Amino acid sequence: MIEKTRVSANFSSVPVVLLLGLLSLPLVLIYAYLFIDTISNSDAGSLVPSEFTLQHWSFLWETKPGKPNIWLVTLNTFVFTSVITAVILLVSSMAGYVLSRLNVPARGFFLAGVMVLHAFPSVTLIIAIFIVLQYLGLYNSLLGVILVKAAIDLPLGIWLMKGFYDTVPWEIEMAGIVDGASRFTVWRRLVLPQIRPAVMALGLFSFLSGWSEFILPQVLAPGAQVQVLSVYLASLIADDNNFDFATFKAVGVFYVIPVLILYVFFQKHLMNIYGGGTKG
Amino acid sequence: MRTSRTLGLIMIAPAAIMILLFFLMPVVLTAVFSLTNMSTATGISGGAYQVTQAAVNRLTTDMPELAAAISEPRFVIDGEGVAALEALQLKPHFATELRSEHLGEVFASRREAERVIKALKDRPSTREVKRISDLFNRSVLNTRFETREALLESLRKLGFDLTPEEQEAVAKATYTGWVWTADNFRIIGNSPDMAQVFLNTAFYVAVTLLLFNVGYALFLAVTTHYMTASTASIFRAVWLLPRITPVVIYILMWKWLTWDNGFLSLFMGQFGYPAKNYLLDNARDAWFFVILLNGFIGASMGMLVFSSAIKAIPETQFHASEMDGASRWQQIRYIILPQLRWPILFVTCYQTLSLLASFNEILLSTRGGPGRATEVWSLAAYHTALQNYTGNLEYGLGAAMALVLVVIGVILSLIYLRVFRYDTLISKPLIED
Repeated sequence: MIEKTRVSANFSSVPVVLLLGLLSLPLVLIYAYLFIDTISNSDAGSLVPSEFTLQHWSFLWETKPGKPNIWLVTLNTFVFTSVITAVILLVSSMAGYVLSRLNVPARGFFLAGVMVLHAFPSVTLIIAIFIVLQYLGLYNSLLGVILVKAAIDLPLGIWLMKGFYDTVPWEIEMAGIVDGASRFTVWRRLVLPQIRPAVMALGLFSFLSGWSEFILPQVLAPGAQVQVLSVYLASLIADDNNFDFATFKAVGVFYVIPVLILYVFFQKHLMNIYGGGTKG
Repeated sequence: MRTSRTLGLIMIAPAAIMILLFFLMPVVLTAVFSLTNMSTATGISGGAYQVTQAAVNRLTTDMPELAAAISEPRFVIDGEGVAALEALQLKPHFATELRSEHLGEVFASRREAERVIKALKDRPSTREVKRISDLFNRSVLNTRFETREALLESLRKLGFDLTPEEQEAVAKATYTGWVWTADNFRIIGNSPDMAQVFLNTAFYVAVTLLLFNVGYALFLAVTTHYMTASTASIFRAVWLLPRITPVVIYILMWKWLTWDNGFLSLFMGQFGYPAKNYLLDNARDAWFFVILLNGFIGASMGMLVFSSAIKAIPETQFHASEMDGASRWQQIRYIILPQLRWPILFVTCYQTLSLLASFNEILLSTRGGPGRATEVWSLAAYHTALQNYTGNLEYGLGAAMALVLVVIGVILSLIYLRVFRYDTLISKPLIED
């Protein structure tokens, strides 16, 4: 990376840091309070916490009446997210290679189609998908919503993988062919290891995208047995009888921890992908 | 190469099938459903023919006499009724006489039927007359027929001699399933509610885009450019948080900020202001927060794209300008902004589409409220088809509304495929010519 400080050596960077720091303060504040409120109580009308408590985390060991068990929900979320990640990685690493390197009929057409779909307001399809799943009998099942979510994220995956395959030098493959390997072996043993960072980035992105997904499970699989964390949390918040921000926040922190861990460790990968842009 | 071709087809098949089934098919079906009046009331599979009071009312507008005739009870002396009468174990002569003298007769009202029954030789009591006449009540009102033929056959038996137009009208009025229609688009075109939602959407997209997705993103990119690399990466990480955070918890934090027992109320309470719900108390505040919370998410993409574009500007240009005594503002105005022309256009185009389609945040925060003040197009489609308070989910109308977005989406994406050479921009958005 180029060292940017030299560029503006004549100017002090203090004013911009102060300005941006001030603007970032509200954001930092609401994130800080997200954590503070889950482990403390404040006196009424006060913003400063007065005592330490773990009572807001009681949802971990007691199931609330009318709500599914938190561990079942967490398990569902893990299954949902990991299957989606696996499917997207497998399917798009194959399809991306074909679009980048192999000679198949209608390749250009498929590529253009994927590009249009990638930029597509996919949530608008949810009405049709809802009806399709009801016809297929996959409504209110994890399988149905997994297939839908994976399919919706596929165009981006294929697109990214194709781009990364394009950067792999042809010479590697030619060497493999000359040595008598089949095209499949070449892909599996020579090309795939070359794009390991891309597989990482896509896997990370798919995991985060699946973990955060709300509207698809909410509409397509709202049942108690197949609920995921986002739907669970939303249903807690929507319940006006037990409005308790501290508990909501505790569930929220429980839900957001895996995301934050991944974010801290793989920030650079994510910057690259989100710079490509995928949502509003 | 034959082998590579077969291999290629096998390897691309899973992707093709999944996209076809769960992506392309819904697009086509959205178009198909938009031409129907599917709703909870009609169901999604085929319907039946049901003569209800509502159906009769529908028929009344076109054919009042026929509707009145159908809704009246009909009394038919038929074998079935006589058999039922025998089973009642009244005087046996009632049944025998009705069978021999009156079989096949049709009466237009209960009074006429009861006059005949009363005239039977064995003189049934008034209570018996009523019981007997009930057995011959063959009114079609509140009966259900699986097919159109069954309905018309039953009407014919009751003595209705219907012309083809009348048959058509009766079948149409009593059908409970969905039918093809272009009404959805007429509703979208004519209803003032839709116009209001359209204006809301235009306002929301334009303001969020201008202020945050482009404006604030540019501000972030330029300010972080003038910092040391490590400071800059901290700020970028902070401003990427809203995008990384799952939407449900992100909105929860904003609710905590704005709710009547939340942060803002407590904070303002220190200065004597009464607690209130800042998110939902009036339309202006609702819009303010809707734009703010969406803008915070939206700013990060622009920030990253613009940052990497600024990074690609040759450093010598900055050095040269500093030698010439350019101020920081002049650097921004004459070096950075002109070279960000294409990235800005790209982000504008891309985020227009994203904003048009995004409704998670609004659904979770204001639900389109207060009233319908922050209802945007995609949210309205969702409310129409999948979640509303009246309970009748209008899939057809919702699909038509979604189709409008689909069409806009396809047009916009085709445009930027063409104009921005999307393929090169997506991997490194630095195309300058």
